[in-house]
Amino acid sequence: MTSDNKAAITPATTRHNPWVRLWCGKPPSLFLLGIATAVTAVMAIPIIYVLIQGVQADPARWRLLLDQRIPALLQRSLGLAVTVTSLALLVGAPLAWLVTRTDLPGRDVWHWLLALPMVIPPYVGAMTYIIVFGPRGLMWRSFGSTFLDVYSFTGVSLVLASFTFPYVFLLASSSLRRMNRNYEEAAAVAGLSPAQALLRVTLPLLRPALGAGALLVALYVLADFGAVNMLRYSTFTTAIFYQIGSFDQSSAAILSVVLVSLTVLLLYLENRAKAGVRYSSVRGTWHCRQPVRLGKLKPLAMAFVTTVFLFTAVLPLAVLIFWSVTGIANGALDQRFFGFALNSFVTAGAAALIAGILALPVVYLRRRHPGAVSAFLNRLSYTGYSLPGVIVALGMIFLFNNYVRFLYGTAFMLILAYVVRFMPQSLQATETALSQVPPQLEEAAQSLGFSPGRVLRRVTAPLAVPGVMAGVSFVFVSALKELPATLLLRPAGMDTLAVRIWIEASEAFYHSAAPAALLIVLLSILPLKWMLSKY
Amino acid sequence: MLKRTMLLLVVTAIVLTALIGCTPRQTNTGKGEVVVYSARNESFVLPLLNSFEQQTGIKVRLLTGNETLVNKILEERNNVQADVFLSNDAGALEYLRLAEALSSNQSPALKIIDETYRADDGSWVGLSARTRVLIYNKDLISEEEMPKTLWELTDPKWSGQFMITRGGNGSMVAHVAALRAVWGDDKTTEWIGAVRKNAGAVVNGHGDIRRSVGAGEYAFGLVNNYYFHQQLSEPTNNNVGAIYPDQGEQGIGAFVNAAGVGLLNGGPNRSNAVALIDFLLQPDQQRAFAYTSMEVPLNPSVESNPIARPISEYTTMAVRLQDIGAMWADAKALIERGGLDLDLGQ
Amino acid sequence: MYAIELKDVVKDYTQCGQPAVDKLSLRVSHGEIVTLLGPSGCGKTTTLRLIAGFERADSGSIYLAGSAVSDGRRFVPPERRGIGMVFQDYALFPHLTVAQNVGFGCKAAERATRTREMLALVGLPDFGDRYPHQLSGGQQQRVALARALAPRPVVVLLDEPFSNLDADLRGQMRSEVKRILNQAGATAVLVTHDQKDALAISDRIVVMCGGTLQQEGTPREIYQFPENRFVASFVGESNILCGKVGDSGNTVQTLLGEVPCSHTHDKPPGSQVCVSIRPESLELDPHGQVAGVVKEYHYSGQSIDARIETLGEFPQELTVHIHPEHSAQIGDTLRFRILPEFVAVIRAEETIKTIA
Repeated sequence: MTSDNKAAITPATTRHNPWVRLWCGKPPSLFLLGIATAVTAVMAIPIIYVLIQGVQADPARWRLLLDQRIPALLQRSLGLAVTVTSLALLVGAPLAWLVTRTDLPGRDVWHWLLALPMVIPPYVGAMTYIIVFGPRGLMWRSFGSTFLDVYSFTGVSLVLASFTFPYVFLLASSSLRRMNRNYEEAAAVAGLSPAQALLRVTLPLLRPALGAGALLVALYVLADFGAVNMLRYSTFTTAIFYQIGSFDQSSAAILSVVLVSLTVLLLYLENRAKAGVRYSSVRGTWHCRQPVRLGKLKPLAMAFVTTVFLFTAVLPLAVLIFWSVTGIANGALDQRFFGFALNSFVTAGAAALIAGILALPVVYLRRRHPGAVSAFLNRLSYTGYSLPGVIVALGMIFLFNNYVRFLYGTAFMLILAYVVRFMPQSLQATETALSQVPPQLEEAAQSLGFSPGRVLRRVTAPLAVPGVMAGVSFVFVSALKELPATLLLRPAGMDTLAVRIWIEASEAFYHSAAPAALLIVLLSILPLKWMLSKY
Repeated sequence: MLKRTMLLLVVTAIVLTALIGCTPRQTNTGKGEVVVYSARNESFVLPLLNSFEQQTGIKVRLLTGNETLVNKILEERNNVQADVFLSNDAGALEYLRLAEALSSNQSPALKIIDETYRADDGSWVGLSARTRVLIYNKDLISEEEMPKTLWELTDPKWSGQFMITRGGNGSMVAHVAALRAVWGDDKTTEWIGAVRKNAGAVVNGHGDIRRSVGAGEYAFGLVNNYYFHQQLSEPTNNNVGAIYPDQGEQGIGAFVNAAGVGLLNGGPNRSNAVALIDFLLQPDQQRAFAYTSMEVPLNPSVESNPIARPISEYTTMAVRLQDIGAMWADAKALIERGGLDLDLGQ
Repeated sequence: MYAIELKDVVKDYTQCGQPAVDKLSLRVSHGEIVTLLGPSGCGKTTTLRLIAGFERADSGSIYLAGSAVSDGRRFVPPERRGIGMVFQDYALFPHLTVAQNVGFGCKAAERATRTREMLALVGLPDFGDRYPHQLSGGQQQRVALARALAPRPVVVLLDEPFSNLDADLRGQMRSEVKRILNQAGATAVLVTHDQKDALAISDRIVVMCGGTLQQEGTPREIYQFPENRFVASFVGESNILCGKVGDSGNTVQTLLGEVPCSHTHDKPPGSQVCVSIRPESLELDPHGQVAGVVKEYHYSGQSIDARIETLGEFPQELTVHIHPEHSAQIGDTLRFRILPEFVAVIRAEETIKTIA
């Protein structure tokens, strides 16, 4: 209201009022702006605090780490990221092509099945691989050989690639589905063989999708803690985790600065590469066209698809089910288990609800009051995106132990860490949901005599709620799976399912760990359906 | 209207989180609660704490971690969260006492433990002894072939054959501190570097070592003696033996540490904490504890698990546990310099 | 008292590079259907949104039914202006049925009756239980109109109402919308870039360009007597020639010779002017004063649209519409006479040397 009056009092000043011009003539109410700013601040402060701590750390400490630790960690983290990303591309892209473009039997089912590994948290996957391929695992006991050293670089790379390739697969197949097939036919008319067309037309057009998929995988590897730790491989995240564990905050902050820079560099490179190849692909006329005939190669293709599915979904799930059955038979579903499950649900649920609610003002501001300010706030609230949980946890410890002591050591600290870490998922879903409510609908309601508040309730909310709820469920599942921040921030007596999986698996009590892991996997399948319809 | 709707949402969010944030604190029954930080293996601690809960009606909130809890406690000195710290290592407890993170305890129950195994002011008290030994797989190596001193681990001929824990492990820190007291900085640093290089695997916990050695993945490993006892009691993979290192005429002796419990300074539930410590010192609890974990009770009147070798049967290092506390931080720095706190490969 | 009155309204978006409205004044009487016509970016939609209150004028005043809704002192938000609006894509609420959509803005007491009345008015009495996505484009448009009219608004605003319909339906909906608006006795302002919409439906047309008013008048006035070059060429096709007003005052001396002209804005003889000659005013006549060679033509069914080059010292290109009973071949020489009713003098300040 205040801004309403201000804008209307003197027309002459309105026209040149920089505040109004900043918002393209549509300044938001100060109330909305205030809330959005506050939300953004909460999202960004922990990370900014860590970075400041890192930059201000003792130069001697910097020098020591730069000399010894950082080069080794860089080599290990980057080496792993590059290897896993390459593997994911090598597996994900051909699978996407086979499933969308060829006469592979059961293509629609494969599309669903090959996305399945995504719901298995890598640390759970790592546990199943240790059970099967560990030094004295199933393979060794059955055949006298492990076939694969899970504790080696190869082992870590394969395990991580197994559970991250669906990102590449899904993005590539959605891009292939949407790609205008006239391009391929134009290539054929121009005299290119199908193989040449694939290499010279389809693949370059697929490049943005593959880039986005590769970025997701690389960010995932850089941020992963659970799997690499279980497989005894040290990266930046584990180093930061142990530095926090020994409460060497300044070293942790320094390593965090390097890791964040690495992440930002990655995002920047991808952004630049993307800017170089911006295709304005006209949406294809969607004829039902003849798929590529695999012919004699069909058995080979089938073998490839089946093998990938076997090792990335069937094997881990079978192991989990087997050990869950064993565990449940031995009474693993006791009162403690339900206590842990309750802790998980309460913390993840609260985080999901809060993330869902807090996303609303930020997204609403951005969509209905576009301008430099809202764009900046929006970008800032995406800070948690791609940041490892350990760094978010570090920020929380810094902040709460120094400034918000009465909340230190409570579940609130953990919940807020989840919110900061997973808010971007909620923002994205809310953004999508709100973009499906065109402003005209709100204007229509307004022209029919509805105040903005009633418009929000009667029109915007009913239409946006399903999308917002999808965001909430994403955050819920992500928080449920979250490991490093939970390990560092959980209050005494408040272990969650993820923490229990970690503790039990590190003691090799697989029958205790499996039921919790299976429960998390099953819950993760729910939003998968929504994601598949999105891609 | 818009404002009111938004406000409603925000208020709901805040109320909700506040409620959840406070939930653990509101579950207090009449007897209150006690917050326990434990660096000890959960499966040994949990039965004791459960029976404490049942007998007293005091709710126990347990946070299981590792020796890094020492740092957490120090970090939280101005905002104390826990009441009691269960440690694997008397050195860590003494270190906390020197940092004034512990509070004196005049409970008469402490007198049952010999005063060499407790702090003068009663702020911490030892519960059980554990000796650093080399567990070995008898299928892979014979007692004669085994190294008899810790220094021998630096010999390249053992390269890739044995396992140790990361230097972050509490027992390891205390052990290094003790070695340093005997060997001095240079020799200790040399030992750390060489051992790290020689070790076939550097792992998080001793449980990994006993299982892997028992299963024959590695020939031997450095553990606390009760891990050897545990592996011995496994139904399979139990053909293991133990070397108590550095015996003999010139030997520096095996390092004996004590697991114990400390009373934190300024904890929120002091009287409950004292009650818990008293409870842990009861002979029944000591016996139950020693039998399950296969450690040696420090209370002489409590019989130990027959599988365990009494301390009197072997030479021990001449380092007082109280002295280790002061060297704790230096030992950690030494480990970090040697790169043993984190496995970064060769 | 006018239903709508705009006085010197200015809207400047320069920050964001969108079109502006520049010192626009406009009056709409009760029960009138007025069309804002112009190319995209001319400010017509902005004008509509200023009237609705979705945009805020930088300066100037807007009155609805005599009371100020936007001026230096006050700004009434859209929901309190009592307007009805039909959006380009109809903006029907997808989560509500047709009946719920129509009754959305009505008071609870009269909602049921009003919904029934409106659905009957737009010819969809049995569609109340359907959802918008189950309707065809034309049906959606009727529902949108019914929804806008249901709360008895002071004025109905229609933003490009026909642009989402295919050609057949467009013609039908033009007369249908006109009927509904007249029957409801509504005052309506309609925005379109399509001259056929404007000519067919309006009582009055306001042609806009660059945020300013170019000409306003009845459809016939706009078409027959465009006042400037922009209106002449935007509303229908036109040949524009320059010359001097002849001695008699109802001819113009051009490169084609003496052109008869019944609408000279009472310019004194000898003044420099341009004339707009509609293709329809060039009629095939073996004795006509204008002779030309066919350069190209195409057959549209209703006419043969041809471009001819005049013979003589200063050849001119002219667009002509030949009645389809005749035939024309490239290279034919044809003669035309000029009918004065479709020749108009356009403002002289735009001196134009060549033909549009």
